Amino acid sequence: MDSLIAKADALQPLGKKRKISHPKKSRDASATDRTLQSVAKHTSVPKSFNKLPDGPNTYSHIANKKLRTELNRHTTQASRAKALLEDAEMLLADEAGKIEVEGEMERTWRVGQDEIVQGAGQEAARGRREWKLDGGPYRSRYTRNGRHLAIAGRTGHVATFDWLTGTLHSELQLQETCRDITFLHDQSHYAVAQKKYVFIYDRDGVELHCLKSHIEPTRLEFLPYHWLLASIGNSGYLKYQDTSTGQLLIEHRTKLGTCTTMAQNAHNAVIHLGHQNGCVTLWTPNLPHPAVQLLAHMGPVVSVSVDPSQGGRYMATAGRDGTVKVWDCRNWKGAVRDWPVRSGGDVELEWSARGALAVASGGGVNVYTRPSIHTPMHTKAQPPLYLTHPIPHRPLTSVRFAPFQDILTIGHAAGLSSVIVPGAGEPNFDSAEADPFENKKARREKEVKALLDKIQPDMITLDPEFVGSLAPPSKLTTVTTIDGKPPVEIPFARLPRLERLKVSGKADETEEHSDEEGLDDNGKKAAREERERRKQRGKGKSLKRYLRKQRKNVIDPTAVAIRKKLEKQREEKLRARMAAKTGGEEPRKPSALDRFKRAP
Amino acid sequence: MHPFARARERTRALNAAKMDRLFAKPFVDSLEGHVDAIEVLARQPGSLTTVASGSWDGGILLHNLSTRNKLVKLPQAHKGKVSGLCFAEGDRLLSCGVDRNIKLWSIGSNASDQPLNVFPGKSAFNSIDHHRTDSLFATASNLVQIWDETKSAPISNLTFPTSTETITSVRFNLSESSVLASIGSDRTFTLYDIRTGRAERRVFRSNSLAWSPTFPTTILLASEDHNLYTFDIRHLATPSQIYKAHVAAVMSCDWSPTGLEFVSGGWDRTVRIWKEGQGHSPEVYHTKRMQRVSSSIFSADARFVITGSDDGNVRIWKAKASDKLGVITARERAAIEYRESLKDRWRMDTQVGKVARTRHMPKSVHQASKLKRTMLDAQRVKEERRRKHTRAGETKPKAERKKVVIAEQT
Repeated sequence: MDSLIAKADALQPLGKKRKISHPKKSRDASATDRTLQSVAKHTSVPKSFNKLPDGPNTYSHIANKKLRTELNRHTTQASRAKALLEDAEMLLADEAGKIEVEGEMERTWRVGQDEIVQGAGQEAARGRREWKLDGGPYRSRYTRNGRHLAIAGRTGHVATFDWLTGTLHSELQLQETCRDITFLHDQSHYAVAQKKYVFIYDRDGVELHCLKSHIEPTRLEFLPYHWLLASIGNSGYLKYQDTSTGQLLIEHRTKLGTCTTMAQNAHNAVIHLGHQNGCVTLWTPNLPHPAVQLLAHMGPVVSVSVDPSQGGRYMATAGRDGTVKVWDCRNWKGAVRDWPVRSGGDVELEWSARGALAVASGGGVNVYTRPSIHTPMHTKAQPPLYLTHPIPHRPLTSVRFAPFQDILTIGHAAGLSSVIVPGAGEPNFDSAEADPFENKKARREKEVKALLDKIQPDMITLDPEFVGSLAPPSKLTTVTTIDGKPPVEIPFARLPRLERLKVSGKADETEEHSDEEGLDDNGKKAAREERERRKQRGKGKSLKRYLRKQRKNVIDPTAVAIRKKLEKQREEKLRARMAAKTGGEEPRKPSALDRFKRAP
Repeated sequence: MHPFARARERTRALNAAKMDRLFAKPFVDSLEGHVDAIEVLARQPGSLTTVASGSWDGGILLHNLSTRNKLVKLPQAHKGKVSGLCFAEGDRLLSCGVDRNIKLWSIGSNASDQPLNVFPGKSAFNSIDHHRTDSLFATASNLVQIWDETKSAPISNLTFPTSTETITSVRFNLSESSVLASIGSDRTFTLYDIRTGRAERRVFRSNSLAWSPTFPTTILLASEDHNLYTFDIRHLATPSQIYKAHVAAVMSCDWSPTGLEFVSGGWDRTVRIWKEGQGHSPEVYHTKRMQRVSSSIFSADARFVITGSDDGNVRIWKAKASDKLGVITARERAAIEYRESLKDRWRMDTQVGKVARTRHMPKSVHQASKLKRTMLDAQRVKEERRRKHTRAGETKPKAERKKVVIAEQT
């Protein structure tokens, strides 16, 4: 047995003292790998091939060994993963587009679409096209992967097609007003906001559902990660419908009348509504009132859009007062930018994935890019224009950027036009999120995976990063002083019962104050008890005697009613006493005529 | 690019926890054949499938776990209860019984129902264990005796000078094979070295003991006070970990070959699989048909747990309840590993943790655990109130680990 113990001690002795290891000085690594040295001069070696960071060593103060090892392991892993992530940027194959101007007098907005089409390749030039359709002013929507386009004309012409290959999925003549169209989770289903209700159609145009609870819808938005279809209408009710279970999740009364503008923030699934009184309100399915209410314009808000680049930080609104404002969603102090637009009719706004803002107003579309659109400016100057394109057909009813393309699609009275905006689209797509080149099998797998990953609607908040963060420290301990000793923190479970009730707010304290005559702060117990005893003798107040007989923790409806009555009596007494103190006059309620009183 | 990354990961973690519970079907099969309760189980060291079981009617059965056949049946091996079984080298089985005999059986190709050898003893035997390398075995009756396979009388008695108790279990250490541990009816746990004859003793109450296969100085004791304790033999004053979950006496325990888990079978009709180092919330298995679990062992590949109980059945359970038993492709294995790491990362989340922790218990076990909790709470509160109302500093709360070992003798 001694040999066993000796062997065990040699490997890992049962020592009591814990040695804090001091960080050794790192040895020079260049002496070891000369091949790496020689290669590194002529190639770009990924950063992870160099020494990987070990992670901060801030846990040596923790005595618990298991916890310390686990924390060290986690931080090392995290810092290494971060370093390796930077390597992955090498794998991004495509670059964003841009327009570069030579010479001082040239401007990017002077470059017309013909010149862009000539300069771009044949593939990119397919983005410049016109669709001449009759059927009223058109609204359009792309799928999340940017491959399929849905269009809806005001008079009822609805079509969905794959614009890249030209395949038409479905075309319908609905013969009633269609105000908006949106795809659901992918191109296999789409929803149309028709005159009275919302209808859901299959890929081939077969009507699947009529959502009778969505009355007179004007705008639709689909939240893809929560599988929620949000609609707003002339009745002013914002309704959320879960399209995976079919349940109407919740309807919010906006109480601000009819609403014709809706946008979603892609990063936190919050719905932005623009109202007729100039307010922009932000809604989540969890609050019955708007999370944020902002007075944006001096007239009805005509268009709202949220910037998907930069984590949903900026929002652009346009009002019928003729201004466009860019807001910072993190502090709602004032508009970041604000400029007037000359438009005869309404303005439409849309941000692209790389932060380009398209403003369709009057006779054409103007495109502004960052960083100038995000920099705060106190004057009402127009931001520097990036691109412009005139469209003779009024009104311009929709602007949509195609997700992974440099294409902007404008819906107007005579159909649709697509223009090329270099640098507007995100060049690299993550095929696990949205893949423009997915085949049938991939689409089916993605649908199932997305259903499994469906996020519950009660996780929608203004700040999406709260998931997995630490809860605020619970009030488990109460600081109590016992007989003049220094205050001690006692956990909730160890408190006496009365203290526990007091901490949780359930203690009944009406009887404690009911006997106090006057507002003396030093209600000594002995004096109070004496008073109680005196009162009990002779003409005892039967009400109070009845209450005293009841135990404090028994909730008896009669006792509750009596307590309320006592409360009222006490308040009356208090008021009378206050009036007596101030000299007989009862305090008057403030009225509008107070401004005419003469100062004494 | 990837919005709601954490919310989606949390949803996946919740789904992973739910799927784990959905596919948790741990019961594999029940091997019948004994007519009375099963007392002891033993696993053949070099084999994955051979398990021997001994029962109260004196019968011994050798099972093949994969084909569910009986390889050898010895219905009248002993006159009374078969109290101990262990395997010797070369396809031989040693059994001891309360009829004061130790019998050596051949179980290979030339198995017969007559023993190869009989070793008569002076008193009823309680336990037997074989040395790792030499042809020695140790038995426990009212003293610990070392026998040689070739001699018909014990070669040495390892007793403690002042002991007058019955030794209930004896086990050789798995790496340092001359070290032996035993537990006795007088609340003792004793360590011996057969070469030097030295003995060390701690006083403690237990039903079963098992040496850790990977950490040779760690020993696990299944106690009568519903807990299991691991001790490091270099430092026997306090246990290194206490495992609390059973609501009745723990009758048997066995380590997994990996040394990271162990199984315990209890008088409360449940089998619990614990992780080494985590003293609460083990995996629980129970069935209406399984009565008091008297013995439990891990299989050699650490994938199955075999239990023997009072109703006379040997049951095979999966060590991980939601394991898939068939062939797993690489892609499936990657998905399983991803789900495991998701559950591990989000186990502190209220909902995910609740789904992962909650187990259905039989009503009697649930009620017993509620009652136990109330009683222990009352004791604790009383102790605290006593301390609050006496002079400060007179009594200090005693650590749970320090309460275990009552006294030490060498």
